[in-house]
Amino acid sequence: MRASEPALEVRAVGKRYGATVALEDVSFTLRAGEVCGLLGENGAGKSTLVKVLSGVVVPDSGEMWIGGTAYRPRNITDARTHGVATAFQELSLVPTLSVAVNLSLPHPAGSRFGLVRLRRLEEEAARILHTYGVADVHPGALVGELSLGVRQRIEIVRAMMRAPRVLLLDEPTSALSDREWLFALISRALDGGTSVLYISHKLDEIRRICHRCVVLRNGRKVLDSAVAVLSDAEIFSSMAGRSLVEAFPVASSTVQPGPPALSVKNLSAEGIADVDFTLARGEILGVAGLEGQGQSSLFRALAGLLPLRDGSIEVAGRRQIFRSPRAARRAGVVLVPEDRKEEGIFKDLTALANISLPIIGECHRLRFINRRAERARVEEVIPIVELAERYLPQNIEALSGGNQQKAVLARALIAGARCLLLFDPTRGVDVGAKQSIYRLIRRFAEEGGAVLFYSTELDELVHLCDRCLVIYRNRIAGELSRAALSQERILAIASGHSLPQSAQPEPFAENSVTAR
Amino acid sequence: MKIAVKIGRALGGGAPFATVVCLVMYAVYAARAPSALSIFGITNVLNDAVVLAIGSAGLTLVILAGEFDLSGVGVIAIANVLVATTSGASGFGALGSLALVLAIGLLVGTVNGVLVAFFQLQSLAATIGTMIACEGVALLILPAPGGEVSDKIATGLTGDLAGVIPVALLILGGFAAAWFVFKRTSLGVAIYATGADAQAARLSGIDLRRTRLAAFMLAGLCYAFAGYMLSAETGTGDPRVSSALLLFMYAAVAIGGTSLSGGKGGVFGSLVGAGILTVLQKMLFALGVAEFYTNIFNGIVMIFALLFGNIVSSLAGPLRRQVAK
Repeated sequence: MRASEPALEVRAVGKRYGATVALEDVSFTLRAGEVCGLLGENGAGKSTLVKVLSGVVVPDSGEMWIGGTAYRPRNITDARTHGVATAFQELSLVPTLSVAVNLSLPHPAGSRFGLVRLRRLEEEAARILHTYGVADVHPGALVGELSLGVRQRIEIVRAMMRAPRVLLLDEPTSALSDREWLFALISRALDGGTSVLYISHKLDEIRRICHRCVVLRNGRKVLDSAVAVLSDAEIFSSMAGRSLVEAFPVASSTVQPGPPALSVKNLSAEGIADVDFTLARGEILGVAGLEGQGQSSLFRALAGLLPLRDGSIEVAGRRQIFRSPRAARRAGVVLVPEDRKEEGIFKDLTALANISLPIIGECHRLRFINRRAERARVEEVIPIVELAERYLPQNIEALSGGNQQKAVLARALIAGARCLLLFDPTRGVDVGAKQSIYRLIRRFAEEGGAVLFYSTELDELVHLCDRCLVIYRNRIAGELSRAALSQERILAIASGHSLPQSAQPEPFAENSVTAR
Repeated sequence: MKIAVKIGRALGGGAPFATVVCLVMYAVYAARAPSALSIFGITNVLNDAVVLAIGSAGLTLVILAGEFDLSGVGVIAIANVLVATTSGASGFGALGSLALVLAIGLLVGTVNGVLVAFFQLQSLAATIGTMIACEGVALLILPAPGGEVSDKIATGLTGDLAGVIPVALLILGGFAAAWFVFKRTSLGVAIYATGADAQAARLSGIDLRRTRLAAFMLAGLCYAFAGYMLSAETGTGDPRVSSALLLFMYAAVAIGGTSLSGGKGGVFGSLVGAGILTVLQKMLFALGVAEFYTNIFNGIVMIFALLFGNIVSSLAGPLRRQVAK
């Protein structure tokens, strides 16, 4: 391959899922020996592009070329034979198999008789892990027993060990505490002749290692330029399609004095320990944490999905034990779950039926459902979430992610929630719907509701929250007041570092940062 | 405990516990019926267990791959009536009918596999279809109980070698050995991976379709052989004889510690599970419990096996986490 020849060329690739356009007319070039960043918000099409490039998804249109030859992978092994290896965001390791066997998939090397020789695989794996600086993992350990961070490292090693021509890294640092380890490996891979497509939405990482970046928005390429000449604001605004300043509704805090809406003392459950916090009426309390630090358990415990081992929950001053989400809902505590497709929506029902479910028992005449009453109740809440009325009779699966999420939020509101537990409500949601959700959160707080708000998008936490709890290793590792909130500080606490110097409380904000 | 976990892993899930239960029950049985320890007694028990054991061995492969298969009893029925009609002197003989039966099993397994892996049908639904069709075919071949199984099969497979080793033991031992080899092949690994996490397996480069197809095909072969053994036991053909086996096959798999959601367990456990169900019957009979109660105990044993599996994994969970740290 000549140096001038691009490692990977993508021409006018498109992919749609039903009514949703995931990718449209995307073209770009990955030059030989470079690291190219691929940026975009959640739902911008990054992951679809990764799947297309690694052969998991077949595009509807467009062409791809690798080193000058046409590239049409039918599956992932096909992609691999063309020299394309991928470290997936959702991790592609089989939890019930050992590290060594996982590294050897899909065809574990065997002896003459086709038998997998575990000891040899483990020796081999130990050698590979050592080469890539993952020394603290036993090759015989089952992947399911390892922490998420370690799994991510193994996922990355598995892609790198094939010395691919094109390496795709999809959000490789989402659970990684030691980013330097990855960056060192990347530069080593570049020396070995690999070109890297680095998918991330973390700007500092892109600046650090990428020569060039491509930005996707709503499935289209909106920016393709050298990183050095771009300002943060330019990149952000092309990702979001709006300028940074107007991105978040500016509003003063609406925290109300008086007894807290939700008070949690010493709460422990599987995956979470010793959590204390209070949430006032009118307050938006953020929760931040790297993936898998226990935030999911916290939300599930508060919503009655996970039994408490210890501690107590008080709602509006009354001690509550939630044995089910139904009990939590009755007390006004409603969860908007993480996995919208599996836990949020009822697939084959209309948007209307999805929203009216909690109150359907109240809309009846002679035990038959009164459609008009149902409709009237739903129409009360949909303006709040800004869901257009015309979507109501449609099957919810036909709606975009954003509209689905609005319906889920409407369902939470229709039941008279006083305390919303929002777990990453803007994941996979388009920009417009995000704005609606931000407004909804603010308005809900202004009217005296309490919001516990977890998000993987740190800027959301920074701009929307009155306070933010940071979770690390199943505990609250620190708390940041509104004045002290910044992405850097959240990240520092969330990755287990004590607060960096710059995060020391400013004189005017004494006691605003509490590292626990 | 750590070693126990390791051994458990090596044998595949709850197999060690099931083995202990099986041996204890056999001891109780032998205490009441001393003939149980004679070569004749042992052969007798093994003969009773072997059909269920081999059938559930096949089923285990499909379940490990994360699918269901109900067609087993259908294949067993076809195999049984075919052996009863073709193994005689005027037919293909013992080996000829074996080949015929295995070919049918492979065919049904392939149909199941293609329907599930390539046409993406739900395995439970698709195999209900093949099960019913197979039972229909069995009725067509032999509308009423009858026919005759060649003596070579009937006596050759149910007796013992030189009065020392029961033939059924050799067959079951062969299956167990084949299993320990098979789970170390890359197809074996692929089956486990597919059942544990199909998406991850796919992203790891495993061909899900081929893996599922292979699991169904191997299962079909096992069912066919189970049907052949059934014919040896009964010495006659009966298109309806196998119906009762269906749920017992699933019970044997579950008792043996294989997770019905896939990816965990193993064939060895299912062989032992079949043993438990058989020995339980013998033990209850020897204890003088009326036959009507047998199924109640079968059910209770199965539920206890599941409960125990749960307890073990919840005990092992925290322990493993400590190891992982």
